[in-house]
Amino acid sequence: MIWFTVLLVLLVLAALWASMASALLRATLALALTSALLAVVLFAFGATLAAVLELSVCAGLITVVLVSVTSLTQPRSLKEQAADRKRRLRRFWPLPFVLIAAGVGLSFVKVPVDIVMRLPAGDGDVRTVLWSLRQLDLFGQILILLAGVFGVLVLFRKEAK
Amino acid sequence: MTQTALLLAIAVPAVAALLTLLVPNRRAPWAPAILAMLVCGFELAVAIYVFPTDFAFAWPWMGFGVDFALRLSRLSAFVFLGIAALSFLVTLYSTVAMAKAPSSRRFHAWVLLTVAFSAGAVLADNLVLFLVFWEGLLVTLFAMIAAGKSRPFATAIKAFVIVGLTDLALMFGVMLTGHLAGTLSMSAIRLPLDGLGAVAFLLLLVGAMGKAGAMPFHSWIPDAAVDAPTPFMALLPGGLEKLLGIYFLARVSLDLFMLSPESWVSPVMMWIGAATILLAVLMALVQKDYKKLLAYHAISQVGYMILGIGTALPVGIVGGLFHMVNNAIYKSSLFLSAGAVEREAGTTDLRELGGLGKSMPITMACFLVAAASISGVPPFNGFFSKELVYDGALERGWIFYAIALGGSFFTAASFLKLGHAAFFGRPADEKRLVKETVREAPWPMLVPMIALAGLCIFFGVWNAVPLEGLIQPAVGAAMEGAHHGTFAGFPTNMLLVGLTGGVLLLAVLNHAFGVRRTGKGLGAVDHIYHAPGLASVYKLQATGALDPYRWLNGTAGVAARILFAIDRAIDWVYQTFASGLALVTSGFLRRLHNGSAPRYILWALAGGLTVVLIALAVVGGGS
Amino acid sequence: MSDLLLLVPFAAVVLLNLLPKRARAAGTWIAFAVLALEAAAAFAERFGYAGEPAWSPLGAVFGFHVAPDGLSGLLLLCAGLVGITALLVAQKTLRETRERFFFANLVLVALVGINGIAMVRDLFSLYVFVEVTAVATFILVALDSFTEGRGTEALEGAWKYILLSVIASVLMLLAVAFLLLSAGDTSLEAARGALAARDPLAWIAIALFLCGLFVKGALVPFHGWLADAYTAAPAPVSVFMAGIVTKASGIFALLRIASSTLNGATPGREILLVVGAVTILVGAFLALSQKNMKRMLAYSSVSQMGYIALALGGDLRLGILAAGLHFFNHAISKAQLFTNAAAIERELGTLDMDQMGGLGSRMPVTAGTSAVATLSIAGLPPLAGFWSKLLIVLALWNVGEYGFAVVAVLASLVTLAYFLSLQRRVFFGKRDERWAAVRETTPGLWVPAVALALVTIALGVGFPFALEILLGGGA
Repeated sequence: MIWFTVLLVLLVLAALWASMASALLRATLALALTSALLAVVLFAFGATLAAVLELSVCAGLITVVLVSVTSLTQPRSLKEQAADRKRRLRRFWPLPFVLIAAGVGLSFVKVPVDIVMRLPAGDGDVRTVLWSLRQLDLFGQILILLAGVFGVLVLFRKEAK
Repeated sequence: MTQTALLLAIAVPAVAALLTLLVPNRRAPWAPAILAMLVCGFELAVAIYVFPTDFAFAWPWMGFGVDFALRLSRLSAFVFLGIAALSFLVTLYSTVAMAKAPSSRRFHAWVLLTVAFSAGAVLADNLVLFLVFWEGLLVTLFAMIAAGKSRPFATAIKAFVIVGLTDLALMFGVMLTGHLAGTLSMSAIRLPLDGLGAVAFLLLLVGAMGKAGAMPFHSWIPDAAVDAPTPFMALLPGGLEKLLGIYFLARVSLDLFMLSPESWVSPVMMWIGAATILLAVLMALVQKDYKKLLAYHAISQVGYMILGIGTALPVGIVGGLFHMVNNAIYKSSLFLSAGAVEREAGTTDLRELGGLGKSMPITMACFLVAAASISGVPPFNGFFSKELVYDGALERGWIFYAIALGGSFFTAASFLKLGHAAFFGRPADEKRLVKETVREAPWPMLVPMIALAGLCIFFGVWNAVPLEGLIQPAVGAAMEGAHHGTFAGFPTNMLLVGLTGGVLLLAVLNHAFGVRRTGKGLGAVDHIYHAPGLASVYKLQATGALDPYRWLNGTAGVAARILFAIDRAIDWVYQTFASGLALVTSGFLRRLHNGSAPRYILWALAGGLTVVLIALAVVGGGS
Repeated sequence: MSDLLLLVPFAAVVLLNLLPKRARAAGTWIAFAVLALEAAAAFAERFGYAGEPAWSPLGAVFGFHVAPDGLSGLLLLCAGLVGITALLVAQKTLRETRERFFFANLVLVALVGINGIAMVRDLFSLYVFVEVTAVATFILVALDSFTEGRGTEALEGAWKYILLSVIASVLMLLAVAFLLLSAGDTSLEAARGALAARDPLAWIAIALFLCGLFVKGALVPFHGWLADAYTAAPAPVSVFMAGIVTKASGIFALLRIASSTLNGATPGREILLVVGAVTILVGAFLALSQKNMKRMLAYSSVSQMGYIALALGGDLRLGILAAGLHFFNHAISKAQLFTNAAAIERELGTLDMDQMGGLGSRMPVTAGTSAVATLSIAGLPPLAGFWSKLLIVLALWNVGEYGFAVVAVLASLVTLAYFLSLQRRVFFGKRDERWAAVRETTPGLWVPAVALALVTIALGVGFPFALEILLGGGA
C-alpha cells in the first residue's frame, strides 16, 4: 500500500514539474516521466494493455512529437528564460500548497459514496470491447486523427514565394 | 360553400382595396370607382346567396380562446345584406360623384377596406375577432375623412379621437365580458345584467354609441359633413355606422346580456336615446347648410334606435331594429340627394339655393319620399318603425313618448324648411341657378336614389316583408317567452296614430306660419330659433361651447403639464438609474474578461467544483 | 439511414482528397450536396420516428449502435441549414482556394461528429463524437491564421478553445469513469437507472458530465473561450460555430441527457436553472459594452444558450419543446447575424462598431435582415423568437419557478437593449465619409441572409401550424 501512495505522490510531483518548468524540453521530459509513472500505476492495477499503450503512446510517441515540434521553434535566450522563470514562480508559487491543502481538506469531506469495485458487465477482454462493442468509438477516433492531419496541413503551410 | 362565400366576402374587398391603390391615377381616373362598384356588386351577390342560411364555423387562430369564428344568423345575414346593398348603391353613385376628385383612388381603396371590415365585423362570432375588425373601421374612417377636400385633417383627427375613445371603452368592455363569461365566443355568452355585468354592458354600449354617433359622441359628424366627400357621408355616418353600431347593440342586448325592463340599464338607454333625439333635432332645425342639417338628423335618428332597444320590450326592440334599417335607407338617400345638388348647383348653402325643383325633378321626388319617411308620414317606412318605437316608449313612460313625438315634430318642421329652401321658392342669385345651367343629376347618381326611395315605399307598404321575414325572427329567437304575434301591417293603436297625424299637421302649420312671417322657406323656423330659452342655447352651440370635444381639448393643456412632470421622473429612473446600473455592471464584467486563459480555466474548475458540491448536497439531503 | 449519416460525409472527405488539385473547387459542390442531404434527412421517413427501428443499410458490416429520433432530426436540420450558409459565406470571404478546400473538408468532418452526437445513446460515444467535432473546429478557428492581413489572433482564439476543451474532456472522462463504477455501463439507460436508484456516485458522474458539456456549450462560468474564438475566427467559421458547433456539442447533449436520463429529477434541474439564469444575465450584460460586432454577437450567443439550459430546468415536456424550438431559432438567427457581420467586414474592412454608422441606407438588405434576426432573438412577436421565449417562460411558470421566469423576461430587456445598440451604432446615425462609397454586399452573402430571415418570419407567423407538425414528429 505504501508503494502505491509513493507512486501517486511522485506522479503529482512530476506533473507539477511539467507545468512549472520554464524550458520546453524540460517540461517535455517531465511529461514523459509523468506518463511512465502512470504506466507503472496501471501495471499495478493489472491493466496491462492500458499500461503498455500509455507507455508507448504518451511517454513515447507524444514525447517524440513534442520534441520535434519544439525543435522547429527558436530557442529563447538564457536571459529571457531566467526572466520567465522568475515570473512563473511569482505567479504559481501558491499552487503546490493549494493542492496539498485541497487534498487534505477533501479527505475530511464525508462523501456518501460506497464505492464497490465492480467489473464491467459482459466480456472484459479489451480486444472484444474495442472491435465489436465499441466500433462506433473507434470510428470516431479515426476521424479525430483525420482532423489532426488536416490541422497539420492547414497550419504548416509553405511560405509564399 | 357558404364558408367559402363568407371568407371571400371579407377577403375580396380587402384585396381589391390594395389593387385599387395600384391603379395608375392618370390614365384611368374612373377605374377605382368602377372597380369599387364591381366589388360591392360581388359583395351584394354573396350576401343574397348566403342569405337564408344559419351557419357558423370557427378556426383556432391565436390561442387563448381567440378563434376566427364567423356566424351567419338571421340578424347578421340581414345586416350584412344591408351593408352590401348600401355599399353597392353608394359606389355606383360615386363613380360620378368622385370622378374628378384627386384622391379618388385612395378614397375608393378605403371604401373597399371599410366594406371588408364591416363584413368581418357583422359576421364575426368571436369578441376579439370582432374587435379587430371594429378597430380597422376606425382607421378607415379617419382615412376617408382625410381624403376629402378643404380642411379635412382637423376633422379627421376629431373623428379619430372621439370614436377612438369609445373604441377604447369597447375594448375594456370586451375584456370584461370575456373575463366574466369565461369564453370569447359570442354565441356562447349569455350574462345577467348585474354588478360587473352591467359595467361591461355599459362599456360595450359606449362603444356601440360611439360608432353610431349618439350623443355625446356626436360632435365630429356635422364637421365631417362639411369637410368629407359626400359619398362618404352617405355610406358611413348615414348607413354603415348606424347599421353596425345598432347591430352590435342589438347583439349585446339580446344575445350577450339578458336585457330586461327591470334592469337599471334600460332607463339609462332610454334617456340617452331620448336626449339624443331631442337635442340633435333642435340643432338640426337651425342649420343653414344642407349637409350639416342632414348630419344632425342622422344623430337624432340614432336616438330613436337606442330608445327602442332600451325599452327592452319586444315591440320596442323590433321597432328600434326596423328603424335602423329604415334610417339607413332614407338617410343615405338624403345624403345622395345632397350630393346631387352639390354637384349640379355647386353649393350646399341653403341661403343660396332655391327653386331647384324645376330643374331637378327626379332628385326632388326622391328627396320628398325620403323626407316624408324620416318625418314619419304614412305609408312610408319611417312611419311604421316610429309607431313601434312610440308604442314601446309609451309603455315604459309617457315622458319618453312625449320626447319622441316632439322630436318628430321638429324633424318634420326642419325637413319642410329644407325642402322649401332648396327645391321651392327662389334662389338668392337667380342668374346662376337658372333652369338652363342647372340640370338633372346624371343617371349613376339617380339610380341609387330612386332605388332607395323605392325601398322606402316598399318597406312601408309591404312592411310584413322586413318585419316578419327578417327582424322578428331575429328578435324572437332571443326573447324567451315573447310571443306577441306580428307587428306587421298597420299599427293597431289608433290613439298613437292619431297623435302622430296631429303632430305632422302641427308641423305643416308651423311651417306655413314661419314662411308667412319671414317670407321665405329658410326662415320657417326662425321663430323657434329666437324663442326665449332656446335662443341662448343656440348661441352657445354656435360658439362650440357645447361640444364635448372642445372640453376635452381644454383640459388637455393642464393634463399635459402634469403628465410631463411625472414623465420626467420616470425618465430619470429609466435613463439615468437603470441604464447606468446596467452599464456599470457590464463594464465590470468586461474588465474581468481580460483574455487570460489561466483565469478562464480557474473559473471553469471553480464552477465544476461548485456544481459537484451542489449535486452532493441535494442528493445527500434527499437520500 | 443512421449509418449513412456517419459514413457519407466521411466518404465525401475521402473523395474530396482524391480529386486532382485543379478540380478542388468542385469539392465545395460535393460538400453542399452532403449538407443538403443532411437537412433533408431530418424529414426522412426511414429515420426512425415513432419507435420504429432506424433503417441501417450497412448494419451487417458495421455494428453502430445508434438510435436516432425526432430530437436528432432537429439537430440534423439545423446542421444542414447552418452548414450550407457557412459554405456560402466561405465562398465569398475566404480568398484562397486552399482555404476553401480545407474549410469544406473540416466542415464535413465536423458534420460526422455532429451526426454522431445526434444519434448516439451512450455517454462515452457522445464524448468521442463531441471530441471529433471539437478537433475539427479547433483547426477551423485557426484556418487563416497565417494568411496575409490576419495576425495570430485566430491562433490565440483556437488555443483558448483547446485549453478549455481539454478541461471539458477531463470532466467528461471522469464522469464516464464514475458512471462505469456506479452502473457498470455507459449507456443512457444505465445512467437513468443509476440516477433513479439515487446512487450518489452516479449523481456526481452526471454533474461532472454536465460541467463538461457546459464548457463545450459555453455556459457561465465555463465560457471564457467563446468570445475570443468567435471573434478571431474567420467569418464562415464564426457562422458555423455559432450556428451549430457550440450548440451541438454542448447544448444538444444537454437536451439528450435531460430528456432520457434526468426526467425532471433534482438536482439536475437545480443545476440547470442556476447555471442557465447566471449565463443569461452575465452574457447579456457583457454584450452590452462591446465594441466589436462579432464579440457582441458572441456574448449574445452565451446568453441565449443560457435560455436553453434554463428551459430544461422547468417542466420537462414543455421545456424540451421550448429548448428545441429556441435551439432552432437561435441557430437560424445567429447564423444569419454572423453572415451579416461577414458582409459588413467584407465591405468595410472593420468590425469596430464605433467607427460605423449610417450604413442602413447603403446596405439595406443587410440592415433589414439583421433587424429581423435581432428582433427575433430579443423575442418580439410575431417573429419566431417570441414563441420560443414564451414557451420557455411557460415551462418555468408551470413548475412554480416564478423567480427564474421573471429573470428570463427581464433579461429580454437587456437583450433588446444591446441589440438596439448594435443596430443604432451600425445602421443608423450619421455616416462617416469613409463609408460613403460602400454598397450592398455581393448576392453570395445576402441571399442566405434573406433566406434565413424569411424562415424566421415564416416560423413566427405560422407558428400555430408549425406546432402541430413539431408535436407530431418531434420529441
